[in-house]
Amino acid sequence: MADTGKDMLLYWGSGSFPCWRVMIVLEEKGLSDCEKKLISFSDKGHKSDEILKLNPRGQVPTFKCGDIIINESFAACLYLEDTYKSQGPPLIPSEPARKANVLQRMFEEPTLTKKARDDILLLYMTKKPEELDQEKMTKSKAALKEELALWEGYLVKAGGTYLDGGEFTMADAIFFPSLAILVRCGLKLAPTFPKLAAYYDAVSKRPSVEKSWPPHFRDTEGKPYLADL
Amino acid sequence: MADTGKDMLLYWGSGSSPCWRVMIVLEEKGLSDCEKKLISFSDKGHKSDEILKLNPRGQVPTFKCGDLIINESFAACLYLEDTYKSQGPPLIPSEPARKANVLQRMFEVPSFTKKAMEDLLYLYMFKKPEELDQEKMKKGKAALKEELAMWEGYLVKAGGTYLDGGGFTMADAFFFPTLAFLVRNGLKLGPTFPKLAAYYDAVSKRPSVQKSWPPHFKESEGKQHLADVL
Repeated sequence: MADTGKDMLLYWGSGSFPCWRVMIVLEEKGLSDCEKKLISFSDKGHKSDEILKLNPRGQVPTFKCGDIIINESFAACLYLEDTYKSQGPPLIPSEPARKANVLQRMFEEPTLTKKARDDILLLYMTKKPEELDQEKMTKSKAALKEELALWEGYLVKAGGTYLDGGEFTMADAIFFPSLAILVRCGLKLAPTFPKLAAYYDAVSKRPSVEKSWPPHFRDTEGKPYLADL
Repeated sequence: MADTGKDMLLYWGSGSSPCWRVMIVLEEKGLSDCEKKLISFSDKGHKSDEILKLNPRGQVPTFKCGDLIINESFAACLYLEDTYKSQGPPLIPSEPARKANVLQRMFEVPSFTKKAMEDLLYLYMFKKPEELDQEKMKKGKAALKEELAMWEGYLVKAGGTYLDGGGFTMADAFFFPTLAFLVRNGLKLGPTFPKLAAYYDAVSKRPSVQKSWPPHFKESEGKQHLADVL
């Protein structure tokens, strides 16, 4: 009988892309019965004793699978795909060329995150406007634009809707949440990046993605930090 | 018949941890016949046309497996382990608790690498001494010490020599190269972190690690940037 995730527990925060990835994979693998506990970042919920007991780093996602604890989002996603391979669609194809493509795209995502979050968004979110080095911000935005152009090219090369062509894979589960956060922060994909725009629309509609959409994204507008990219 | 890596090609740079990871896994999986082309970072060899054709990011490792190109080191290592599972030791155990532990440690390595490299060593390597914010460097060293304490704890918890009690795994292939880079730059593991010190000695002796040891580490002394961290 298929596992529905009843023995699983996920601590998560709204808007956290690592959490979102794990939630997408849980849905894709039919593990929707995983218990989910939402924490509030502003209340420092991720530093609660409950979480620190399971994750000394005091971060979300914090994920318990029966007695097993796997907190790193990439680790949790890979563990779930490997352990529940027979449930839901194969998120990492077994055909060598496709497997290589999916793995490659999965592990290029951290480069996008560095250029988007570390070099731009975190600075806007944590520094006062007068503290920002405007020249540096301009350079970082140009670098992000170049990075997005690479991903636009990847979609063209894949020749379908998704990063691996016609089928949704782990590459999309990893990449989409990061892209969605950029859109939330004012990034206009069209007309510069038409494939990314179409990709964003298509993946947004996927049931696993809709079910795990960050609640506060529906309730409020994001800050338009990237509107001028 | 076992694949020995004859159709594989790896562009690499001496001292690059991501390259070292892939080289360890190639050796562990018996793929030693992979062709290896050493580039020089100072000559900007990683930006050559030859590499850019295969890797628009102009980085090493750049790795070709027959017709397939997989340049991200984590991707290459996972691809090799999955594709050549029956060759060499299993680097990702199939038993659930061990599999989870190994995957967890593998993907904690980026947190370690950030504190070690981006927040500390790259600043020493690429900035002039007068450009360094000394207060920031002090905080960076304290954060690295805390991070190392976690990994010392992981070794204690695993109960053996390696990050997974059962033996050498992908977690060690990912973690060791960065640790070795820190030791190269003056980090003294003992007596503060005895398990890490013993780990460093044990893993250094592993054939796959010996074979892929960065050449210039053998030829010259490292700088002592981290001599005062512990």
